[in-house]
Amino acid sequence: MEYSKDQLEELKSYCSKLSAFTEGSVTFLYLEGLRLPEGCQQQVCCGLLCPVPRDGYPSRLYFSEQIVSPFARNWNVSNARIAERNWFAFSWRVELVAPTLVQILVAHLAGFTREK
Amino acid sequence: MSPETTESSQQITEVEVDILEYAERGEEIPHAKAYRVRIDGETVKVETPCPTGEMLLSKVDKRPCAFELIEEFRHHKNDVVEPGEEVNLRKPGLKGFITAQKEIVTIFINGNPYRIERGERTVAEILSKVGQTPEGYLLLEEKNGPPLPLPSNLPVKISGCEIFHSQVQSGGSS
Repeated sequence: MEYSKDQLEELKSYCSKLSAFTEGSVTFLYLEGLRLPEGCQQQVCCGLLCPVPRDGYPSRLYFSEQIVSPFARNWNVSNARIAERNWFAFSWRVELVAPTLVQILVAHLAGFTREK
Repeated sequence: MSPETTESSQQITEVEVDILEYAERGEEIPHAKAYRVRIDGETVKVETPCPTGEMLLSKVDKRPCAFELIEEFRHHKNDVVEPGEEVNLRKPGLKGFITAQKEIVTIFINGNPYRIERGERTVAEILSKVGQTPEGYLLLEEKNGPPLPLPSNLPVKISGCEIFHSQVQSGGSS
């Protein structure tokens, strides 16, 4: 899947390095040095955004480690192997109509900042 | 500072004058190309005799959304200067300026300015400025980077000039 240059540029501001790779038929966006919301114990980590349906979710955001955040989350993915690396994700469903990549990312990050 | 003669007008124009020195001597401040002005004890150079309050604040890296500017005169008289107000630096007795943090500051939400009390505020209080609630909207703050969502259970520190965005709530645990 191709993403517009503008959307990728906007996404870049959230991390120190952005790259993309395809595994299977899915294009993942790798966000190195992803900034995390205030209140999280870690300020940055690595993220992997899958903006298309996967594992029964409309989109997913994977993290390089479990994040300690103001609200406890249901980390239902642990050590998922993608691109020869282990990833973690919490159960969070983002439902947006025609979202941009940043809107998807922010909606996932908001999982750290909301009770439910 | 050595005076310079302007050939066209034959007026004596100082290159740079220190307004505090003139105020202390009780002398009239001459026309000059630049004025040395004390703001919070720091000396800054101003290249117009009539700067605005906002321009003077910017000389000490402060903004009217968080600070006010106050003129200090000989004989202990002080006056607040509004951001858009022009100050006559040649005004008799003007010694300089001090700044003070405002109690009611300005924040920006979705690009528009809103007034709010300084201190710790809730996400709900901030969203209410734009008629939104945390049930329907996320509050994002742009602070040294891109806008990130703020935790709904933690207070938000308001000092003035903060930049917020709101985004419709679109996620939930499943």
